[in-house]
Amino acid sequence: MKAWPRELSVGLALAALLAALAVFAPSFFAPQPLLSLAAREAPVLLVACGAAMVIVCRQIDISSGSQFAVVSVAAGLLAAEGWPPAAVAGTALALGATLGALNGILVAGLGLPSIVVTLATMVTWREGLRWWRQGAFINLPDGLQWLGLGQAAGQWALIGAALALLALLALAARHLAAGRHLYAVGSDAEAARLAGIRPSAVTFGAFTLAGALTGLAALMNVIQSPQVDPKSGTGLELKAIAAVVVGGVGIAGGRGRLAGVLLGLLLLATVGPALTHLRIEAHWEKAIQGAIILLAVAAERARRRPAR
Amino acid sequence: MTPSPASPRPALRHETVLLAVVVLEWLCFHALGPRFGTLENSFDLLRHSAEIGLLALAMTPVILTGGIDLSVGSLLGLCAVLFGKLWRDAGLDPATAAACTLGIGALAGGLNAALIAGLRLPPLIVTLGTYSLFRGLAEAITRGADTFTNFPAAFLFLGQERWLGLPTQAWFFAAVAAAVWLLVHRTTFGCACRAHGFAPEGTRYAGLPVGRQLTAVYVLSGLIAALAAVIYTARLGQARADAGTGYELLAITAVVLGGTSIFGGRGSVHGTLLGVAALAILNNGLVHARQPREVAGLLTGALLLLALAAGTAPRLWAARRARRSPAPSSP
Amino acid sequence: MIKPALSLLLCGLVFLAGCGRAPEAARDAGGGKRLTVALLPKSKGNAYFISCRAGAEKAARALGVELLFDGPTDTDPAKQNEIIENWITLGVDVIAAACENREGISTALRKAQARGIKVITYDADALPDARAFFVNQATPEGIGQTLMDEAARLTNAEGEFAVILSTLTASNMQEWLKHIRARLAEKYPRMKLVAVRPCDDQKDKAQTEATTLLSAHPNLRLLMNICSPAVPGAAEAVKQAGKTGQVKVIGLGLPSENRRYVKEGVTDSVILWKTEDLGALAVEAAVALAQGTLKRGDTAFRNAAGATYEVRGDQLLLGQPFIFNRDNIDQFNF
Repeated sequence: MKAWPRELSVGLALAALLAALAVFAPSFFAPQPLLSLAAREAPVLLVACGAAMVIVCRQIDISSGSQFAVVSVAAGLLAAEGWPPAAVAGTALALGATLGALNGILVAGLGLPSIVVTLATMVTWREGLRWWRQGAFINLPDGLQWLGLGQAAGQWALIGAALALLALLALAARHLAAGRHLYAVGSDAEAARLAGIRPSAVTFGAFTLAGALTGLAALMNVIQSPQVDPKSGTGLELKAIAAVVVGGVGIAGGRGRLAGVLLGLLLLATVGPALTHLRIEAHWEKAIQGAIILLAVAAERARRRPAR
Repeated sequence: MTPSPASPRPALRHETVLLAVVVLEWLCFHALGPRFGTLENSFDLLRHSAEIGLLALAMTPVILTGGIDLSVGSLLGLCAVLFGKLWRDAGLDPATAAACTLGIGALAGGLNAALIAGLRLPPLIVTLGTYSLFRGLAEAITRGADTFTNFPAAFLFLGQERWLGLPTQAWFFAAVAAAVWLLVHRTTFGCACRAHGFAPEGTRYAGLPVGRQLTAVYVLSGLIAALAAVIYTARLGQARADAGTGYELLAITAVVLGGTSIFGGRGSVHGTLLGVAALAILNNGLVHARQPREVAGLLTGALLLLALAAGTAPRLWAARRARRSPAPSSP
Repeated sequence: MIKPALSLLLCGLVFLAGCGRAPEAARDAGGGKRLTVALLPKSKGNAYFISCRAGAEKAARALGVELLFDGPTDTDPAKQNEIIENWITLGVDVIAAACENREGISTALRKAQARGIKVITYDADALPDARAFFVNQATPEGIGQTLMDEAARLTNAEGEFAVILSTLTASNMQEWLKHIRARLAEKYPRMKLVAVRPCDDQKDKAQTEATTLLSAHPNLRLLMNICSPAVPGAAEAVKQAGKTGQVKVIGLGLPSENRRYVKEGVTDSVILWKTEDLGALAVEAAVALAQGTLKRGDTAFRNAAGATYEVRGDQLLLGQPFIFNRDNIDQFNF
């Protein structure tokens, strides 16, 4: 396999978009707003990494947006109760991992199809949260925002943490046995089983990890503002999955890299702001986003034809 | 039509279990809400589930081939808006406009088909893209703001009145249900769809026209989504770019609840109809039981998991027993 | 083998039956036929309607009527119709609806009237022939004008401003936007509306949109947020961009969600009516209509607590919207 073949078209598309912006709307590159926008996308990157793990394992998770909302609200309530930030963070991670593990049990343990399981948990968490909270905002105590770091430092810390985690996960996926098992199970669960890997354990692990990443992401979003909106995370799962597939991760499992996910997310996250900067009216946004997804995957296939 | 030869025949068919659930639901809500069992409410049920039901019918062959169509809800919105545009701005009479809308729906389904069957791209990604594209086009055409309304009474008859004793749209729904049932269960085309769901590569090597099959399935899905759009517009008396938001998930829920395997190959149209009924009765009945709407969402999730577990438990059980006693051949 | 699953399902449904019945039985034990008022919000899980509901529940308790509060949990416009049609079959006495889409919902409301159910609307009107009265908290025209005038006051009626709304397709958003644009064209030629962005009713998305707007339009003088989650979202973006005071933030929102930013001087004014009173008045008017004490031709409506509201034609007027700012926001806690 050649180096970086699958991610090339995404990278080119991103480069083209950035070039267009540099010519027509250089204001896009003003450092301060760009830093803020990047910090806002940092949590999405973690959710997308989780989604990528699950997809590599030949499963799918569409409940991550609802998990995100549940963890956000729980973390917000605990913080408002006066829990110290470290305890809030620990609980958020644990809660995220638990929600992910629940998907994992249902998928890996009972052998149920993941799209249906996560469809069910997505609806259940979202409606349960609405029933419980009725949509009321949660006001957070003053010290929690940026964890006391100050705004710029906090934003850099979030971006740094997200990228470091991405790098760590990418390395683990490439070099650790557990990472290779993920790809093995995703390419052919039966072959993996015969090679001594337990596919159900790997699948369970992927869902749990994705849940923990979503929990962390929710926490990283909560500390960016002094209020928690219980509707946050609506539609996040689709954004994450879109970033993953645009980034060249094969939906049929076993193929794809986290670096591609980063590129995919950068592309998708740039489109919205780019349209505002290019003075294109908002009602074109969804159509353009859809066209970009289609073009990215079609270009990828056209370039590699007649593979498979 | 038999389930996969690899899986042991379950003691009870999924459809039977689901039928019991539907009957139970009916009895429960009948006991809870005095007006639930009235004829009028049954008509409401039919009216309210026609569009989701149509989309679920369209989705069934798609899922049988191992694919998925996330774009149907967005396509419903796009078709509703285009129908309004054709009628109001192009000055066509509703019947002609509806016919054109069906054509557009088929065309949009053709776009999915071209990418999925022609370029062999995964259906999930393609329809995720068109999900965004179709809704985006609907918003772009209306600039988000334009609402089409004041349709003639003759057109509204389709969605709000009764014909031969039943709500008009129920007849369309029944006709489409019968057609899809025949197509899936009584033609070689239906068998080929399942075959493709079981073993896509195998079907290709067996010389079946896989490309044409997939094309037909997605075009049919677009066509039915367009029909749903016309009925939706008639029922509400308005068309706007947000019509049908989220319907794709409701349709998928109904199909999966109906026992169709999301991996393709296994499933039935009557199962889908039962799935639609189970969800519609739940949503309607909870209002009669004076429960808030969130409960319907919660119970939908629970029902989905339970139905699914009920379908898988016997197989798991058998697999465990098979593992204990030495298997006759490799699994 | 499938029996355990089946019996589990049975248990679930029986449980459901149980939890449905309990409150019902308790309520019916009160004896006599109580009036049932069904209150329909535009959507559930929205702070605005939670506040309306609180007022409505108080009024319902005071009047001794049963209140049903339910609404769609998602954005599809057909869902409101389905709930109304279910209520018709259920046989409620009065329906009070906040309409997400005028034309679409009127179909269902007319059907309710034909069955002898009294219908009023609140918050957002249906077509006039589909209801008896509209409890009017502020006309779309009034809201548009108040917002635009407030924006002009804060910017000395010149410079660029942008609007953040919930979704492009929501009919009340478009209605308000239309009147904002009309007022702008009529009175403030030196102001310019440079962008209209949706935030999907999410605070997080509003913050991202506002951040982008601030960098894309460096001369922006004001952000006008016409859905409630967008006001704190935009305020946080302005604060993080270090443009507090330089870019003004106004909008339609609840005091409780905005108190922090109003006090910090990021958000200049938040405009809203007393939402609890709106919910209460909707229920009171609905009951009065059903009991025949509110009729066409009345010029005033007096509620049980003794407050008097003006009736103009087929509309009950709640009164002028409030403008919350740094000086008065602590007096309100909703």
